[in-house]
Amino acid sequence: MEKKSVSIRVDRVTKRFKDPSGGKTVTAVDDVSFTIEPSELVTLLGPSGCGKTTTLRMIAGFELPTQGKIHIGDDDVTYLPAHARDKATVFQSYGLFPHMNVFDNVAYGLRIRKMPKAAIAAKVGETLKLVGLEALASRSPGRLSGGQQQRVALARSLIVEPSVLLLDEPLSNLDALLREQMRVEIRRIQKALGITAVYVTHDRTEAMSLSDRVIVMRDGLIKQIGTASDIYENPQSKFVAGFVGKVAFFPVEILGAEGSGYACALKSKRFTVPLGVAGMAAGSKAAVMARPESLRLGEPGTGLLEGKVAANIYLGSSVESFVATEFGDILVQIDDPTSKRIWPEGSPVSLHFEPRLVRVLPED
Amino acid sequence: MFTPRKLLIFGLVSALVLAFVSWMFVSISDTFHGYIRSSQTKHIASLAESIPGDPEAFSAWKERVSATDKGLKILYLAGDPQGNPVLASTGPEDEELLAQLSASADYAAAMESVAYQEKFFSKTSYLVGGRRIYPVYVPLMDADSNVTGTAVFMGDENEARSFDKLLLAFALILAFAVLAVLGAALFSREPIVGYAILVLFVIVGAFVVYPLYEAFKLSVMQEGRIGLDLWRKILAQPKIWTALRNSCLLGLVTASVSTLIGYVFAFYTTRTAISPRRRRVIKALATLPIISPPFSLTLSLILLFGNNGFITKKLLGIGSGPIYGLGGLVAIQTLTMFTIAFSSIEGVLQAIDATTEEASMDLRAGKLKTFLKVTLPLSLPGILSAWLLVFTTAIADFANPLLLAGGFKVLSVEAYLEVVGMSRVDHGTVYALVLLLPTIVAFLVQRYWITRRSYVTVTGKPSTRLYDLTSPPVKAALAGFIVLFLGFIVGMYLTIVAGCFVRNWGIDYSFTLENFGEAFRRGGKSMLDTTTLAAISAPIAGFLGMTAAYILVRKRFPGKRLLEFLILAPFAIPGTLVGISFVLAFNKAPIVLVGTGAILVVAYVIREMPFGLENGSSTLRQVDPAIEEAAADLGAGPSAVFRTITLPLIRPAFVSTMSFTFVRAMTAVSTIIFLVSPNWYHMTVLVYNYSENVKFGLASVTSVTLIAIVLAAFGVIRLLFKQSVMLEKSGTQEA
Repeated sequence: MEKKSVSIRVDRVTKRFKDPSGGKTVTAVDDVSFTIEPSELVTLLGPSGCGKTTTLRMIAGFELPTQGKIHIGDDDVTYLPAHARDKATVFQSYGLFPHMNVFDNVAYGLRIRKMPKAAIAAKVGETLKLVGLEALASRSPGRLSGGQQQRVALARSLIVEPSVLLLDEPLSNLDALLREQMRVEIRRIQKALGITAVYVTHDRTEAMSLSDRVIVMRDGLIKQIGTASDIYENPQSKFVAGFVGKVAFFPVEILGAEGSGYACALKSKRFTVPLGVAGMAAGSKAAVMARPESLRLGEPGTGLLEGKVAANIYLGSSVESFVATEFGDILVQIDDPTSKRIWPEGSPVSLHFEPRLVRVLPED
Repeated sequence: MFTPRKLLIFGLVSALVLAFVSWMFVSISDTFHGYIRSSQTKHIASLAESIPGDPEAFSAWKERVSATDKGLKILYLAGDPQGNPVLASTGPEDEELLAQLSASADYAAAMESVAYQEKFFSKTSYLVGGRRIYPVYVPLMDADSNVTGTAVFMGDENEARSFDKLLLAFALILAFAVLAVLGAALFSREPIVGYAILVLFVIVGAFVVYPLYEAFKLSVMQEGRIGLDLWRKILAQPKIWTALRNSCLLGLVTASVSTLIGYVFAFYTTRTAISPRRRRVIKALATLPIISPPFSLTLSLILLFGNNGFITKKLLGIGSGPIYGLGGLVAIQTLTMFTIAFSSIEGVLQAIDATTEEASMDLRAGKLKTFLKVTLPLSLPGILSAWLLVFTTAIADFANPLLLAGGFKVLSVEAYLEVVGMSRVDHGTVYALVLLLPTIVAFLVQRYWITRRSYVTVTGKPSTRLYDLTSPPVKAALAGFIVLFLGFIVGMYLTIVAGCFVRNWGIDYSFTLENFGEAFRRGGKSMLDTTTLAAISAPIAGFLGMTAAYILVRKRFPGKRLLEFLILAPFAIPGTLVGISFVLAFNKAPIVLVGTGAILVVAYVIREMPFGLENGSSTLRQVDPAIEEAAADLGAGPSAVFRTITLPLIRPAFVSTMSFTFVRAMTAVSTIIFLVSPNWYHMTVLVYNYSENVKFGLASVTSVTLIAIVLAAFGVIRLLFKQSVMLEKSGTQEA
C-alpha cells in the first residue's frame, strides 16, 4: 500500500443552504480555510450544527461549496463529483450495502475499479484480516454487531487505498468501551498507512486522543486550530476552553500587561497571571480560566477566593471537590488523594490558582 | 458547474452548432426552392403549349386550368408585345397586376425576349393576396410562328414555404436538442443524471403536456381562430350540467360509502386480535376487484339482477332489477373501489403508534372513548385522503357507467359517446376537460393539503404491535359484516364462472362448453395482444418510475417540482381525457402512433408512472442516503450507483410497480377504448362488446380468462423475483 501522501487544502470555503421551508438561507460554513499536511490526522471538533460535517462532505464531494476552492494534493477538486475523487469516507451510519454480504461490501470498490476476480478475492481476504473479520465474510451486515459493522465500513474504505480517508463521526454509534478500542485501531491503521485523514467528531476525548491537530468550529467558523495540548492548555476563547475540557471562569478586570500575561483584579484582590491572550487593554473585562487541576484548596483566608466544600466525589486516582463560591460551584481536582489533605464536606476553604496553568481570556 | 472556461466552450460550440444548422437550413431550403421552381417551369412550359391562339377561347381555357391548378395566375396580353399589348383576360385584380408588372424593372426586357419568341423568367417577385409569386412570360404564336400575344404565368411558392416552416421547426428542434445535451454534459457534475432528467422531461413533454395541449387547443380553436364559442355553445346546453352534477353526485355517494366500508375493513384487520392468516385471506379477497377486468362485476350484476337476471327474472319473476342508474352504479363502484379506501386507511391505522392508545387506556378511558378520542382523530387525515382517492376514481370511472348508467348520464360516458357515437371529437374533448376539473382539485387537495396535515407518515413499515380495541360483540358484528360483504363479492365472481357454462343466460340455462371454443376463436388474437402489450409496458413503467424516484428523491436540479408534478399529473387526469388527447395528438405528424400497439404501451406507461414514482420514492426515502454515498465514495458513478445499489434496494417497489402496471394494462378501459385498432384489440373492449350484444357466455369466458392471465403473471413474477406481489399499496383502480 505504498502511495504518496497528499495534502488537503480548504481555501476560503463558504456553504449556504436554502432553508426548504422558509426560503431563508443558512450559512453552514463561513469563509473557512485550513490546510492538512500529508499523513496528518486532523479532527474537526465542535457542537452539532457547527459546520464540521458539511465541511467534510464538501471535501468528499457530496456537497458543493457556494464559494471557495478545495484541493486534494495539487488537484482542484472543487467541482469534481464524489466518485471521481481519490478518497474514501467512513460514514456515521456506516452506509453498508444491506443487500450484499461482508465480502461483497468490501469488494465493491475493487469491482467498480474492474480489478480481476482473483486479485479481488486475495485483497479482500487480506483487508478483512487487517480488521479481524475474516471469519464473517459471508455474513450479511444486518447480522453483525455495531463494532463489526464499523470494521466492515473501515475495511471497505481502506481497500481502495485512498489518498485521503474521511471519517464522519465513525464511532458515535458504539458503546464507550468499543469506542476506545476502535479509536486506537483507527489511529494505528492511519499511521501505518501514512494516509491523510480528516476526522469529524463532537467528542473532545476522541479528538484529543486521536489527532495530530484539532480544528475547533462553531457556527460555521473556525475558532482555533492547534495540537491537542495547544487547544487544551492555551485556548484562545472561552468557547474553546469550555468545549475541550472542564473549566471554571472567574470574571476579572485587566489592570495592565505584564510580560505575556496580565495583572488582574478579581473583585478587590489583585494578582498576576503569567499567560493570557494578547491584546487586551487595561480596564477591559476578561476571564481567568481555571481547569480543575489548576486549582488548589487551602486554609480559609489564604487564597484568592473563599468558599465551602459542597461535595467530594471519590474517583480512585483522584477526588473531585465541588466548592460553592459566589461564582457558582467550582470543581477542584485533587490527584493522588491518599497523600493529600481532603477537606470534608461543609468545611470553609480558600481557592488558590496554580499560576502556570491558568490563562486570561477575553470575554466573548 | 458554471466556470468561465466552460461557458466559453459552451458559447463557442453553440455558435458552431447554430452556424451549421442555419447553413444546413439555408442550403436545403435553397435546393428545395430551386427544385420547386424548375418543376414549375416545366409545368408552365407544357401549359403554354396548350394555350389557344384565339383570345376568345382563352377565358374558357384559363378557367379549365385554374380549376386544376389553384396556385397559378395567368394573364393574357394580346397583340405585339413591344407595341401596346391589350389585356385579354378581365377583372380588377388582373388590371392591378398588369400595372404592377409594367412598372417593374425587367418588364421591358421581358417583353423584348417575348418578341424574340423566348420565354422569360422574371427574378422579381410580387406579393399578391399574401402570396409571393414569380412571373413567367411566354410568347404565344400562330401557325406561322408570329408572336400574337403574351401569356404571363404567375406561380406561387406556397409549397416551398410550408416546407420551409417544417424545415425551420426541424432545425430549431435539432439545435435545441444538441445544445441541451451539450449543456447537460458540460454544466452538470453528473452528465448521466443530466441526460436522465432531460429524457424524463422529453417523455412528459411529448406524452403528457403535448396531448393535453392538443386537446385544449381543439376546444378553443375553431377554423383557425381562438375563441370560446365551442365552450359557450356546450355550456349553454343543460346536458353537460346534468352530467357534471350526476358525476359529482356519484363520486360523493360512492366515496362516502366506500370509505365507511374501507374503514370497517381496515379497523378489523388492524385493531382486533385476528390471526395473520385470516388477515391475509381478507386482504386477498378484497384485492380481487382490483385484479379483475372492470366489466366483470358489472357483468355479474347484470347476470344476477338485470332484465334477464337470474335472481330478478328466474327466481323472483319481476322484469327488471333496480340496477340501472345511480343505485346500481353506487353498488358496483363500492364493490370495486372500497379496496382503495381499505388499503389506504389500513396503512394509516398501522402507522399510528399503539402506545398512544395504550396511554389513553392507561388514563382510564374506555375502549370506545379511546377510539373516539385517539384513534379516530389520528386517522382523520387518512380517512379524508382515502375519500378523495375514491372520489377521483369514481367520477373518472368509465367502464361501470358505460354498462349500467341507463338514463343516468355522467361525464366520462357522455364524452365517449360524443367522440365515438356522434363523431364530435371537439364536443367530447370539452366534456372530458370539464371532468378534469373535479379530479384535479381532489388530487391537489389530497396531495398538497391533507398530507401536510397528517399525523402519521405511512412508511410501509407497520408498527409491529397493534392494540385490540374491540369488545367481543363489536368484533362479532364487524366480522359478520365483512364475511357477508366478501361473500357477496365471491358470489359475484362465481356467477361469472357459471356464466361461462350456460348456453344463453336469461333464457336457456342449459350446460354447454361451446362458449370456450367460440371465445378463444374470436378473441384469441386479442388475448395474445393484450397480454403482450401489458408485458412490454410493465418493465418500462417500472424502470422509468424507479429512475424518476431516484432522481427526484436524491438529486437537486432546477425544475424538479415541475418534473414531479408532470409525472404525477396523469394520476389525476381521467382516462377518458388521456384517451381523447392521445387520439388528437398522435394521429398526425410529428408523432404518428394511432393504430399501432405502441400507443397503448405509451398510454399504460404514462398512466402508471405516477404509481411507480410514488412507490419508488416512499421506499427510497427509507434507504439511508449514506448507502448510496458510500458507493459513490468508492468510485461508482451515478449510473453504477443506480444499477448496483439503488435498484436492488428498491426492488420491492420495482416489482410491485411492474405487477401493478401489468394488471392495470390488462384491465384498462377508459383510455384504451379510444386507442384500440383492429390490429391491436383489447380484451376488456371485447368483454364490453359481448355484453352490449347480450353474448354473456362469451363475455364471461373472456373475463375469466383475463383474471386467469393476471393470476398466472403474478405466479411468474413471484418465481422470477422471489417476492410475493404486493397490491396493498395500489393507489387507484382502473377508471
